[in-house]
Amino acid sequence: MKKRALWTIVGLVSLGLVLAGGSAVSAKTIKVGIVDCYSGPPSTYTNDVRDAFQLAVDQFNAQGGVLGNTIEFVTRDSKFKVDIGLSAAKELLLRENVDILMGTINSSLALAISDLSLKEKVPFIATFSKSAKITGAKGNRYVFSMTENTALAGKAAAHGLAKRPYTTYWIAGDDYEYGHAIADGVWENLKQLKPDVKLLGESWWKVGEPDFTPYITSILAAKPDAVIVATGGRDCVPFLKAAKATGFNDKVPFYMHTATELSTLKPLGLDAPEGVIGTSNYFFYYPQTPANEAFVKEFEAAYNRKPAVGALYGFMTAHFIKQAYEKAGSTDTEKFIDALEGMVIDTPVGKVEMRAYDHQAMLPMYMGVTKKMPGYDFLVATDIVTISGAEAMPSVESIRKARGE
Amino acid sequence: MEFAANITAAALFQQILVGLSRTTILFIVSSGLSLVLGVLRIPNIAHGSLYMIGAFMTWSIATVVGGSPAAFWLALAFAPLAVALVSFVVERGIFCRLYDREHLMLLLFTFSLTLVFNDLVKLIWGSDYRSLNAPDFLQGSFSIFGLPFPRYNLFLLLTGPLVALGLWLLTNRTKIGKIARAAAVDREMVSAVGINVSWVFAWVFVIGCYLAGLGGALVAPTQNITQGMDHAIIIEAFLIVIIGGLGNIWGALLGALIFGLTDAIGILVWPQFAIVFPYTAVVIVLVFRPKGLLKSVW
Repeated sequence: MKKRALWTIVGLVSLGLVLAGGSAVSAKTIKVGIVDCYSGPPSTYTNDVRDAFQLAVDQFNAQGGVLGNTIEFVTRDSKFKVDIGLSAAKELLLRENVDILMGTINSSLALAISDLSLKEKVPFIATFSKSAKITGAKGNRYVFSMTENTALAGKAAAHGLAKRPYTTYWIAGDDYEYGHAIADGVWENLKQLKPDVKLLGESWWKVGEPDFTPYITSILAAKPDAVIVATGGRDCVPFLKAAKATGFNDKVPFYMHTATELSTLKPLGLDAPEGVIGTSNYFFYYPQTPANEAFVKEFEAAYNRKPAVGALYGFMTAHFIKQAYEKAGSTDTEKFIDALEGMVIDTPVGKVEMRAYDHQAMLPMYMGVTKKMPGYDFLVATDIVTISGAEAMPSVESIRKARGE
Repeated sequence: MEFAANITAAALFQQILVGLSRTTILFIVSSGLSLVLGVLRIPNIAHGSLYMIGAFMTWSIATVVGGSPAAFWLALAFAPLAVALVSFVVERGIFCRLYDREHLMLLLFTFSLTLVFNDLVKLIWGSDYRSLNAPDFLQGSFSIFGLPFPRYNLFLLLTGPLVALGLWLLTNRTKIGKIARAAAVDREMVSAVGINVSWVFAWVFVIGCYLAGLGGALVAPTQNITQGMDHAIIIEAFLIVIIGGLGNIWGALLGALIFGLTDAIGILVWPQFAIVFPYTAVVIVLVFRPKGLLKSVW
């Protein structure tokens, strides 16, 4: 009697173990937690990241997932606030048990989550924050960046501008971190590439400046050869409007980092100014490669709109994640990071390397000029010059220096 | 850097003109705020929200009517009226029951209105920004002494005096204007002679809010129509009303001139630190005239 009871218990326990073990294997998912701003104007950019990520993840899962695991993701709205975003990231780690954190268009939040990811030893992939500090001075083993940053854009723009015949410049921009970072980035590099450039003056306005006309008219009075406009986000559209109204673009050529991006040009329709020089990581119409055409077709079929630059970041992130796990051969975090370092993958913009030292994706940068083109009800970039990732990236030496190593 | 190499007589003249067109918007919005403040004694923080709603309404009407040049004029005519209607509902529905309460309560109430309006805008128009274009003949610029001046700014320059004239006629030549001025001075006396002060207040509130909507409609083609445009304008409008003299419409005109011109000239003279110019002007005025430049009705 006693023996029989014992055998029953042993039987039940072993059955339980087998069942539990079996379910653990079959139900294993790789979970990604995305924290980003999905309310307010920044959502114009962030929705594309999320949607393209979704597109890629659906494709992976349909093909049997990654190492036999399905990828799943959850999103949280940071409302562009650091405290809300950071607590959302903590919640994702504690309650949702995510394997990877991703997101944020807000640079301050990206830096905060980067600190958290280092502490919790969970990889964090920054998808749209433009601060060079993320993979520069404040970089760490767990943080990766899938987007260009102010250092990269500045260097790329300087390369493009140095080839043009301008010598006297005026700098104007948003009086906050992004504006100054991008202006310094362009100017420092431009001075090195072309020592005879001269700065006539600078104008700085507050973020959300309601009227740019007085700034533009005062710059025109100074008659520079070209102007570097360091403004971003929601100020781009009103600035371009004021530029059009004053005929700024006809009188003096100006460079504005995000001027050629779809998210900037689409709301303006055909009334955007022509001849504005801008830089971007991606256009749905450039590069004209089969890989990009296929991506645009898939994205359009799924969401009924053209992919903007954010879509590249989201799509690329999903592919990097998948291929890094496959290269690592396991879902172990440390092995995943080792695999991701230095990895090269095919993307809609060609081969992109994840630089091993600073975890910055080496994206090519396209410098183009806005122009009306038949077939589009908004302006597009033409005369595109490609500045390769290797040219645009700040050197490993300079990153080492910034980190005080 | 050659300090301010760009200051020439032509540039200064043109900068003053640009500053005056900005003044127009500031004056229209802050005169409405000042009117409500003077007669109803309400510091209406929601004034900025009505300005924002005016801009969104302009966009909606112009978009619904379609791209014809008449669309913009229709929008300019009807969007402020729509804002006035909203304010009428709010005044008759809620405000008129609160006039006996103390000022702090009213202030808190208008603050809560800004939150409600903000969410309403988010519900109706979403969080994307909108952009609207002026009719063709108001686009582009013409040249003054070799420097460009946008045509739309000229249009604003012409609108400003018209609005000022309209306000003057309203307050000095109409019955309701006279009653409103009397009610501002002595509310009890006005009701003692048999006038329904409550309805006078309603009209004044609606006119004040109409001006906020008009300001929003006029800026719609020059900037992003977006959430947050209410914060920027309400701070400037309050500063203007304070330096001009609380509740004094002509004080609002004077304040708007000071604010608009110091801003534009500051940008020409010292562009790196242009942001501080208008605020410095405010501080200087308040140091010498703590109650504002013109007579405050408070």
